[in-house]
Amino acid sequence: MALESLHGVERYQHKWNEVQEEAALPEIGNFTNQYQLMMPPLPKAECQVGEYLVDETGRKMKLNYAHGTTTLGFKFKGGAVLAVDSRATSGQYIGSGNVRKIIEISPYLLGTMAGGAADCTYWNRVLAKQCRIYELRNRERISVAAASKLLANMVYQYKGYGLSMGVMVAGWDKKGAGLYYVDSDGNRMPGNVFSVGSGSLYAYGVLDSGYRWDMTDEEAYELGRRAIYHATHRDAYSGGIVRVYHIKEGGWVRISEQDSKDLHYAYAEGKTTTQ
Amino acid sequence: MATERYSFSLTTFSPSGKLVQIEYALAAVAAGAPAVGIKAKDGVVLATEKKHKSILVEEHSIIKVEVVTDHIGMVYSGMGPDYRLLVRQARRVAQQYYRTYLEPIPTTQLVQRLAAIMQEYTQSGGVRPFGVSLLICGWDTDRPYLFQCDPSGAYFPWKATAMGKNFINGKTFLEKRYNEDLELDDAVHTAILTLKESFEGQMSSDNIEIGICNAKGFRRLTPAEVQDYLANIA
Amino acid sequence: MQSRMVELETRNQDPQGDHGPQERNYILSLHDVLMKKSILNYNGGCVVAMKGKNCVAIACDLRFGVQAQTISTDFKRVFELGPHLYIGLPGLATDTQTVLQRLQFRIKMYEMREGRRLKPHTLMAMMQNLLYERRFGPYFVEPVIAGLDPNTKEPYICALDLIGCACEPADFVVSGTCSESLYGMCETTWQEDMEPEDLFECISQSLVNAFDRDALSGWGAVVHIIEQDKVTTRTLKCRQD
Repeated sequence: MALESLHGVERYQHKWNEVQEEAALPEIGNFTNQYQLMMPPLPKAECQVGEYLVDETGRKMKLNYAHGTTTLGFKFKGGAVLAVDSRATSGQYIGSGNVRKIIEISPYLLGTMAGGAADCTYWNRVLAKQCRIYELRNRERISVAAASKLLANMVYQYKGYGLSMGVMVAGWDKKGAGLYYVDSDGNRMPGNVFSVGSGSLYAYGVLDSGYRWDMTDEEAYELGRRAIYHATHRDAYSGGIVRVYHIKEGGWVRISEQDSKDLHYAYAEGKTTTQ
Repeated sequence: MATERYSFSLTTFSPSGKLVQIEYALAAVAAGAPAVGIKAKDGVVLATEKKHKSILVEEHSIIKVEVVTDHIGMVYSGMGPDYRLLVRQARRVAQQYYRTYLEPIPTTQLVQRLAAIMQEYTQSGGVRPFGVSLLICGWDTDRPYLFQCDPSGAYFPWKATAMGKNFINGKTFLEKRYNEDLELDDAVHTAILTLKESFEGQMSSDNIEIGICNAKGFRRLTPAEVQDYLANIA
Repeated sequence: MQSRMVELETRNQDPQGDHGPQERNYILSLHDVLMKKSILNYNGGCVVAMKGKNCVAIACDLRFGVQAQTISTDFKRVFELGPHLYIGLPGLATDTQTVLQRLQFRIKMYEMREGRRLKPHTLMAMMQNLLYERRFGPYFVEPVIAGLDPNTKEPYICALDLIGCACEPADFVVSGTCSESLYGMCETTWQEDMEPEDLFECISQSLVNAFDRDALSGWGAVVHIIEQDKVTTRTLKCRQD
């Protein structure tokens, strides 16, 4: 108790005890039901978890949200390409340099991570389960549209509770390659070219100037890679390893994972890197 | 009448190009008690005559050789009250330098800044030049320094010099006696002998004052120490 | 950065001398005030200096950014002020330049007036005064000084906070956006009496590994090894993200 109050959790704890006394809540486990996350015992407007954490000097503490990121995805003649960086930051501190920001939902579906790392991984995991159940029940793979809508509906339930995610869902279904953007505000939209994260502006710059529908596969990989590389260079909160995935008829393929340092010096020499 | 103007207005040149007030100030210095400074290999000595108007004066409460900072000291010929103001300024300048650079002020710097103050009193309205010449001695890192600073703001580095009453005789004496390999003890003797050249009456630890400066810093000799030196000479 | 406490006191100025609660003390940490606006972190960048055996080293990164955006990668924040005298000025880039210019002015005036070279320790004193003059509207730089005394050839390092509190340790000093990481690296890699080559290796590894954990600094590094008879300057090949 002393430790919690030292960390400024006292107020939270206090209200929590009150609620427990009023109605003995049943044990809720998102282990059995993932949609049933325990609600904070507070009005909705106050439930940003960040508000309750303070550091040793009493300042409000930001949760470890990986806001800094660059992810991109685009569709083209040969399917869809996803490319991401691998940096995780909390504040200006680089927590990790080799995060996997492309989540492999199923052999035909990929999701990307931008925003809160925990939010993205958790809800992508739930999505993976739902997609598998769909497949077993219906004896066919779920469409990208349906999968993305599942995700959008799930996070919409928690709108206003401070979830933070900007996700691209990409995959291959009956209609060919699919690419959707979904975020925690409840947006869900299909599109040909997306980029999400703090470095997305830089990525868009490269992407928009180099994008054509009728690119070859190699050209597409190189475009995605270059766009992410340039974002890692310009954006302080993006960096690490540039990962490129290709989604085609047979499902997704991991194309390359290269250190942006190697890419930088290769590009500096004027070489284009193909794997 | 017209020529008298120049003698009253400090800031006006006379037709011959002189600032006569400054010359009068030098005359005041030349009428003052003698002061001697000699540089030796391992230090510097300052010495001055300290005659009292009356035998009733408490001799050792009057001080002419003053410490400016640990490693710098000075003495004067001319008007005592003017000197005390300059001592104050010198100490202020030295402390200010130390506060700015956290190192002791080099003797040359102190002399330059003090000379600048004295010069200011030759070019400002409503003031008169200082009626003193200063002898400033110091020790910086590895060698001794000896400077003379005049009312005009001019300053000179010396190996040895004399100021005040009979300074010409004093200088002639020093020219004969000075040599480069002098030790500090010898320099103190020479300084006393230089004062003796023009000294009227019996010299004692009550009527002369001596300051020495070496690697250990500047200090005024105690009457007992002065007495020892006098005994050695006699 | 040394955290300093600023005490602001407001008094009830009632001439009647009301005996109610007349005084109120607000304790603010200057650190808080500055870090909230994060002016010191606005452009990013860091500097480290170390003592070796008869030599010193000073190194900096090369990033000039505006918050997350990297503007240029050849912004040097360590400057030569004399044959064996260097200063690093990490912090707000505009103040880096202003402080450098004002400092160069003062140093030139000093060297002309006194006809001698500036000692590192004297530079520290000048810096203290220059910074404290702006006590209530500081320059947002936290300088690091490294050099050899022109007379004794003694190695010298020191770091100051933004209002001129100096710190002269025997081993190393750090400053800038990744100072915590730099402390960690230096604390583990520094050893007494390093030869110039070892010192170079030590300071380079410390700097590069520290700023590779910092989003706001990096993008290249410059290292100066200052010895009695020569100064070696090297540019390091670094990550560019």
